[in-house]
Amino acid sequence: MKSLPDRVVARLQADMQRPDLSGTRYNLLRYVACGGMGSVWLAEDTVLKRRVALKVLDLAGPADDLDVRLLREARILASLEHPGIVPVHDAGTLADGRAFCCMKYVEGQTLAQHIATLNLPDRLGLLERIAEPLDFAHARGFIHRDLKPDNVMIGAFGEVLVMDWGLAKVGVTSLEAGETEIATAAQPTQNSLRVTGQGSVLGTRGYMSPEQARGDIEVDHRTDIFSLGAILTFMLTGSAPGELPAASGSVPRPLRAICEKAMAADPNARYQSAREMTADITHYLNGEPVSAYPEGLLERSGRVFARHRTAVVLVAVYLIMRVLFILFARR
Amino acid sequence: MTRHSLLAAAQSNDPATRSWAIEAIAAAYWRPVYKYVRMKWNIAPEDAADFTQEFFTRLLEKEFLDSYDSGKGRLRTFLRTCADRLFMNQTRNSKRLKRGVGSAHLCLDFMEAEKEVATELLSGSPEDSFDKEWVRSIFVLGLARLQASCESGGKLIQFELFERYDLEDADPKPSYAQLATEFGLATTDVTNYLAFARREFRRCVLDQLREMTTSEEEFRREAQALFGVKVT
Amino acid sequence: MNKVLLGLLLGAILGAIDGMTAWFTPEARAEIAGIVIGSTIKGIIAGILIGVFARKVHSLALGIVFGLGVGLLLAFIVAQMQHGYYFQIMLPGGMVGLIVGYATQRYGRGPKLQQT
Repeated sequence: MKSLPDRVVARLQADMQRPDLSGTRYNLLRYVACGGMGSVWLAEDTVLKRRVALKVLDLAGPADDLDVRLLREARILASLEHPGIVPVHDAGTLADGRAFCCMKYVEGQTLAQHIATLNLPDRLGLLERIAEPLDFAHARGFIHRDLKPDNVMIGAFGEVLVMDWGLAKVGVTSLEAGETEIATAAQPTQNSLRVTGQGSVLGTRGYMSPEQARGDIEVDHRTDIFSLGAILTFMLTGSAPGELPAASGSVPRPLRAICEKAMAADPNARYQSAREMTADITHYLNGEPVSAYPEGLLERSGRVFARHRTAVVLVAVYLIMRVLFILFARR
Repeated sequence: MTRHSLLAAAQSNDPATRSWAIEAIAAAYWRPVYKYVRMKWNIAPEDAADFTQEFFTRLLEKEFLDSYDSGKGRLRTFLRTCADRLFMNQTRNSKRLKRGVGSAHLCLDFMEAEKEVATELLSGSPEDSFDKEWVRSIFVLGLARLQASCESGGKLIQFELFERYDLEDADPKPSYAQLATEFGLATTDVTNYLAFARREFRRCVLDQLREMTTSEEEFRREAQALFGVKVT
Repeated sequence: MNKVLLGLLLGAILGAIDGMTAWFTPEARAEIAGIVIGSTIKGIIAGILIGVFARKVHSLALGIVFGLGVGLLLAFIVAQMQHGYYFQIMLPGGMVGLIVGYATQRYGRGPKLQQT
């Protein structure tokens, strides 16, 4: 058979990757991004007339149980209804046999792109909003396990969304009565447990806790606390933890202490919940003492002065005025 | 054909089986190898053609493939490394190796490959060219499969539509309405037939790729390379 | 602590300090007790007024302006009663009002915050 010109090869490559949406309610609009397991496409839901994001596996069939993982992700997202977690609309298999998952299309920027323009208080406020959906998921027994700046999207209206729950795991420690059913629903088969539950190392270096990097089976929600600490480090220094240690010099000590506590090697030494960590950040923002950082008398005085600067200055002016009056009265 | 069968056949002790398997491997790799040596060492077309013939003859003689360990890397990378090694050996010995006695001489169209080299010599590295040619070869083999499958399944019109719309390098491409008129079909039929042909083409290409790889992991990675996806 | 109580306490403390500094003026020393009590009451009245204002209006600028105004007004009345010392009475009085105005806006618990 005759060879193919470059342009035709490029077109066929695009055809190969493009999902076959025949027989579905979706119309393909454009390619958005690719990842390790598949690609994301912008499509139109022809019934509801809205734009959606389609996450489609590159290959059909049970390659590395990716189809099971995608379905698990869809089920986890379906059971986590929170404004900070991207909602899932649909999941299934396309005509070409590839598994897909239909989610809300988020127009916006990744965290890394977004923070470049933010000042310190805004960055810290953003971290608090990342922690909210995480805390929500933890309370329902889910662990994200791949939290990193690329998996946090900031929408066009400032909404913060935690994405990519493909590596999420159902924990065993924080399930409350009545929520067991949700957790079970997200575990469709034994295979899904095997995918992420038998010591395989999944996650992203730099943002992955030591126990997760070791492939420990018993990782709990505190692995996400580590990642949250790593994200905070990234937000403060612009680099992933370990990449540029010198950059941490400009970070205020209490914030550095918060990062260090969140990223402690021993999970017991970390914050025990995302809420506990954000409480410390709120304390810092309010000029209050931070639990992770025992401050000296001088630092404490400095912090109190900085917090009540105007009041201190006003009282000082008043007292100086009074002293001047006394001095004039004596003449 | 099942996984490992092509490579296993290429490593078989039965000369007929081995010959068949090497021909299948050569069909996918001769063009990448030819262009690679032309670009990397800038040798004359006749020498590159001789080298390519010799390379696949060597494979037939079990010299290289017996040392291939699928756990250590991809077949594609292995073959390129083998080409490098063979060329270095030949250069060191300053003589061309003789072809194995009784080995089949592969019928390969070096003339056309040479025409393509003329336009590509200035762009990209030899390694990129090797990978690009490999993609092209897999697509060509996938197309042959698609054609055979359509012919045997009475779906020749679907293949012809696919050929007309997706394979012709026309600019601008014909519209679905034009194709409908040309083929005497309804426009919706054109849409459906093209969707079918593309789906089948994808299946044929992946089947071809599956035969050329030795593990599910290698298959997945090669498929992503084939799609032009940067694996993260 | 709610804003009215905060205003009251601050007004009382600063008013008392205001009054006590009269001790350094020899001619006023004999009436120091009356001056301290009067000044404290003046501070308490100003503090309550400013605190109530802070409960109703959540604006730092308006709070400061209102505090300054109340402080100056009450100090002016006192100075009128004293028939003099306008500068010595009104400047600290205005300053106290300003400080209480700022403090009640910035600190202290508002009525609606309790519900959140």
